[in-house]
Amino acid sequence: MMRYVIMLAGIAIGALVQLFLPAWPFFGGIKPPVLAALVLYYSLNRAPRDMWLAVFWAAVLHDGLDLGAFGPALLAFPVIGFLAHRIRFEIFVDGVVTQFIVGALGAVLAMLVMVLVYAITGQRPFHFGYTMLRLIGSGLLGMVTLPLVSFGVNKFEAALPKRRRCGWQ
Amino acid sequence: MLAFILPSSFSLKGKGAVRGVLAPAERGTSGLAQRLNEAAAAIRGIGGMVEKNRELAHELVRIQTELNTLRDAEAENVRLRRAFKFYRQRPETLIPCDVISRNISGWWNTVRVGKGSAAGIKTSHAVISPDGLVGKTVEVSKNTAEVLLVSDPAFRVSAKVDRVHTFGLVRGAGADLKGQPVARMDFINKDAKIKVGDEVVTSGLSGQSGAFPKGVHIGYIVNVHQDGSGLYQYAELAPSATVGLLDYVFAVSGQAAEGAP
Repeated sequence: MMRYVIMLAGIAIGALVQLFLPAWPFFGGIKPPVLAALVLYYSLNRAPRDMWLAVFWAAVLHDGLDLGAFGPALLAFPVIGFLAHRIRFEIFVDGVVTQFIVGALGAVLAMLVMVLVYAITGQRPFHFGYTMLRLIGSGLLGMVTLPLVSFGVNKFEAALPKRRRCGWQ
Repeated sequence: MLAFILPSSFSLKGKGAVRGVLAPAERGTSGLAQRLNEAAAAIRGIGGMVEKNRELAHELVRIQTELNTLRDAEAENVRLRRAFKFYRQRPETLIPCDVISRNISGWWNTVRVGKGSAAGIKTSHAVISPDGLVGKTVEVSKNTAEVLLVSDPAFRVSAKVDRVHTFGLVRGAGADLKGQPVARMDFINKDAKIKVGDEVVTSGLSGQSGAFPKGVHIGYIVNVHQDGSGLYQYAELAPSATVGLLDYVFAVSGQAAEGAP
């Protein structure tokens, strides 16, 4: 039980970090995808139940804190979580290069789903050039964010007391 | 013996000659000794100097921290005084709010303020600051409200160019590559003589039950273009009110009474 609490609290802290990070005009005004990176991390490293819990909680936080209806993250995060979870035994999940690639692909995929949701629902205006900028920007930011998030969560978990039902060791 | 019997004048001349020859060497030796003494003193004092240096560095850090704190307090004091003065001068009923966070995704140009329906804030109320129009409330919960900023493409407000009293519709246009907010004023009469630098203010025609007060500064015109249809002209605006995390804004909750200043 305690590990779930710690995981959910960690994701909530990740949401706060993403809230307070500045948007990057050169990357289409998007923010570093901390929540998407956390989803990828738990999908790559945890059992399905943990993964789905992380996906659902991160999506609820993202959509709850964002303007507009619930939906973009609730669609995007399960997609990237499911795909990452499927391939986790076929890749070196702790390799930095792997994390660069998975982080970039995951962030681009999440952004693509969000672009589609916003375009179809008409909540945001669609500009091809701006969308491409956002996709490229999200890839670059995701590439940087996932290794940093993985490093941070690993360090955090390593610092936890090694007790049953508390740490992951 | 000879030396003793020489006249004193000769003696003095001899001494003077010798001293004159040796003087430069003496001076050099003296200087060298002085430098050696200084070096020795410096070597002896290294431990003390390091300690002193450490103390001074700590003192400097402490004073720098105090200075930064005082500067922050001074800046906040100036902001609060300005906000208070603005609050007292405005004829509308204003609800002061502090900005508590930004948008999480970057998809929307919004900020969240720390007051909601419990404080009397409702949806579609104008949010203003001493710098001008900030935006409008869009999602209001009990204790927070989401403010859609002037620069968001979903933002619309009826406005007028103050100098020539020409009306138009201001809508957000996102941000430029420097991150500065951009807005656009559409449907300006094609015959209106507007120019760069003209001030744009709210017309007072937007909002439910007059929630958007008249004459609130929005920004200045930075570019004027002819509309493709040739029926109107449009202008690019630089909104004046940029909002940071430490800012105070005001939600307009009621219109001024008729005849109020």
